Amino acid sequence: MGVLMVIIGIIFAVTVLPSEEKRVKKRFQLLSEWISKSPEENPITMLQKMKDIGTLFVEPCELKAPHESLSGSYPRQEISAYAGSARSHFFQLDFKFYDLHIAFPEKEVAKVTLTARLIGKSTAGEQVDEIRELECLLKKIDKKWFFNQIEVIEVLKK
Amino acid sequence: MAVNRRIRQFFLPSLTPTLLIRVFLVSLFAYLFFGYVCTPFTIQGISMEPTYSNGGVNFCWRLRYLLSGPKRHDVVAVRFAGSRVMLLKRVVAQEGEQVEFHAGRLYVDGKEIEEPYVRFPCSWNLPSRRVEKDCVYVVGDNRNMPIENHHFGQTSKVRIMGVPLW
Repeated sequence: MGVLMVIIGIIFAVTVLPSEEKRVKKRFQLLSEWISKSPEENPITMLQKMKDIGTLFVEPCELKAPHESLSGSYPRQEISAYAGSARSHFFQLDFKFYDLHIAFPEKEVAKVTLTARLIGKSTAGEQVDEIRELECLLKKIDKKWFFNQIEVIEVLKK
Repeated sequence: MAVNRRIRQFFLPSLTPTLLIRVFLVSLFAYLFFGYVCTPFTIQGISMEPTYSNGGVNFCWRLRYLLSGPKRHDVVAVRFAGSRVMLLKRVVAQEGEQVEFHAGRLYVDGKEIEEPYVRFPCSWNLPSRRVEKDCVYVVGDNRNMPIENHHFGQTSKVRIMGVPLW
């Protein structure tokens, strides 16, 4: 009976109680949800999502992308505006993260390596399917995790 | 009657410790085999056409390069952060080799390479570059698109997960 109680306790702790890893994953889920766009999305939802995206980042967030003009430091507002502008070019957008490897190299810092995939249909009717490996650094501020740095890893170098 | 009982016993066996152990072992084997040795995947995209078509199903044989490295013309699966999303590409050059495209033809160390798997017209031009140490140069078979729209290039051998089973 005692062993059973211990097993139930462990299962409860693992599945129900939020660990730091789960909290970090939740931030990625939110980012994926807010960037994705359904064809029926109304303007109010669009504006809300644009605003929400900025709240996931620290001020400023650094973006490192080899051979792409996007590299630099961006304030939250600019991230929201850029995400909104990019989303507006799409009729439908599905942004997902795969293979998240989470490590905590320092206290209050999370390093996440993952694959990001963006599948969508542009307003011009063009199909888009982009895959990138990303290395993200998240910072914990007031018990919440925020994106601090996003680096695009070069998998294929032309 | 005995046959009926046997069939029933086969599909609805009695819950015995032996059965539970057997189920556990089969599940464990399936998990390890299909998760780490022979991973199923679906092909999404047209970059390997006509060799591999969009929507096709295949398995990635991950033990292929256990004892030897990838060779020119091998089709390989290149991983990103993990094995959930991979790119299917063909190795065209190995470390230390000079690779270039001229009028859609592949040249390695200045020699034109025959590529019978490239069936669609191609007009790519890419200046010569040397493949770095511990890397291979991979390209898709379908080059009937602008060079900027095709994902190809040098990748680390560490990223090569295996080969498609067929």
